[in-house]
Amino acid sequence: MFETLINILSALVSNMHYLTAMLLFLIGFHTMLTHSNLIKKIIGMNIMETSVFLFFISIGYVHNASAPILDDRVAAYVNPLPSALILTGIVVAVSLTAFSLAMVVMLYKHYGTICSDQIMRLREEEQ
Amino acid sequence: MTHLPIIVVALYLATAFALPLLGRVKKLHTGYFSLCIATAGLVMSLLTLFYVAREGTFSYFPGDWPPPVGIELSVDWVTVLMHLTINLIGLLVLFYCIEDLSSEVRPGHETWYYTLFFLLMASLNALAMAFDMFTVFVFTEICTLAACALVAIKPKALCVEAAFKYLILSTLGSGMLLLGTSLVYMVTGHLNMGLIGQLLPQAIDLYPLNILIALGLFIIGLGIKSALFPLHTWLPDAHSSAPTPSSALLSGLVVKLFIIVVGRIIFQVFGSELFLMIPIPEVILLFATFGIFAGSLMAIAQTDIKRMLAYSSVAQVCYIYMGMALVSQTGIQGGLLHVFNHAVMKSLLFLAAGAFIYKTGIRKIEDLVGIGYRMPLTMAAFSVGALSMVGIPGFSGFISKLTLAFGALEAESPFFVVVIIISSLLNAVYYLPIVLRGFFGRPATEFQWDKLPLLIIAPVLALAVINIFFGIFPGSLQELARLAAETWLP
Repeated sequence: MFETLINILSALVSNMHYLTAMLLFLIGFHTMLTHSNLIKKIIGMNIMETSVFLFFISIGYVHNASAPILDDRVAAYVNPLPSALILTGIVVAVSLTAFSLAMVVMLYKHYGTICSDQIMRLREEEQ
Repeated sequence: MTHLPIIVVALYLATAFALPLLGRVKKLHTGYFSLCIATAGLVMSLLTLFYVAREGTFSYFPGDWPPPVGIELSVDWVTVLMHLTINLIGLLVLFYCIEDLSSEVRPGHETWYYTLFFLLMASLNALAMAFDMFTVFVFTEICTLAACALVAIKPKALCVEAAFKYLILSTLGSGMLLLGTSLVYMVTGHLNMGLIGQLLPQAIDLYPLNILIALGLFIIGLGIKSALFPLHTWLPDAHSSAPTPSSALLSGLVVKLFIIVVGRIIFQVFGSELFLMIPIPEVILLFATFGIFAGSLMAIAQTDIKRMLAYSSVAQVCYIYMGMALVSQTGIQGGLLHVFNHAVMKSLLFLAAGAFIYKTGIRKIEDLVGIGYRMPLTMAAFSVGALSMVGIPGFSGFISKLTLAFGALEAESPFFVVVIIISSLLNAVYYLPIVLRGFFGRPATEFQWDKLPLLIIAPVLALAVINIFFGIFPGSLQELARLAAETWLP
């Protein structure tokens, strides 16, 4: 009983990065869906995407290995593919953020608020 | 010849970046230049069709690096069918753009609209043939950004708000897609769909949880993007408030491509055996059945014509999901037929509705009484689309619904035949009154031909002719869809 608990805990600690990534993913997800502040929604979007990046990169991590630069003295390399892919992912995330911030600016100019509930109320009044 | 599919993508991307420069020099010519490029794209996809028909399907490796090192683009029958659909609808919508855009976007923004159009078309063409999970992710994002911008380009706060909602929910979807990809990469070490597919049967014994979660993430993530009920909440706002050509593109093409990606993941990565082992087809069938009814019922309640068409899309997308989740060859064939037929029907309906708005400014369904006396040709084309949606024999919508019904029988679930019949009746409830009122309502004015610019009426009529043609001679299209279904479920 006690031993299984210790086993579970040690498994959790040794897989800290996966756990953290999943927690961040859920935090981002929750922020995006529940907050009415549009800027907070965008922050949530960034947290969620960063958590996926963390997860992807930690897959490629090899313990006691060095950076993937050819060298005769090195036995093992870290998997370089996830890092290369995530570079693309970061670019995509930045452009998404820039685009959504631009839209928030347009909404603020028109409605004078960045709260989605208030925007919805104002929109109904307009109609 | 084998380079043609990727040349289409490269050409569209290059055009997207060249257009703003051209817009600075000769503003008037950007629309006609875009038309030439889109025509070239359609010709190239037709050539690919003939090439594939003669030489068989092939895989294309950019830079001659075969997987696992390089990227794979699969030019199979699904790709051929989708490329034809995308480039045909895209070209016709582009014709419509030239006259209509000046009334929909800020003056001076037309060139930017064409840029976004070509970015969208390039990403759609690439998504249709991408055979690598990360390529799918990248082009999904390009597609999302371009699609959101095509909604937000209209200078109205309503559109920007709809686009923001669309963007936030789409980003959730792409986050899930990337997380699913990383989970699959974790256990198989590959991103190529074919190689993942080979390794999955062994991997599922060792790491069942990873693969199940990945499949769930793929289906929910892409389900949000393709508006699978109940994840469709962004669709009615975005599709109804967008400029008319964008509505036609979004409803006709964008949601379909994500369904194609789901299909590739289900049948070419996971394989039908694995897919049937887990009760996911049943869940999709349940959602699809609810979606077909809910979409139709909500469409009945709408008063705005574009909003009604958008809700109708929710229901029609569910037909395609139903065809795939039946996991019978005829079902998938019906689903793929419906991809093409719905793209034609829905862009026809959106463009015709846009023509009403362009000429008269009427958006309310009840105000469309007697519109058939003022715009007889447009209304006739709208009626073709409406009757096709209901599934009257002689129109292409009937063929795909019939094939779907045969697919349901082949999968030994006759319940879904009943679903298709009842939902056709529901479609009739909201489409036919518009047609009846338009032609038989009290005419407000004397009879007159629709005085519309040629470039607005021509694509509408062309889509109607295509619809009737494939309703009466469905043979070649059905054969194409059957071959495509065979690639997924031999």
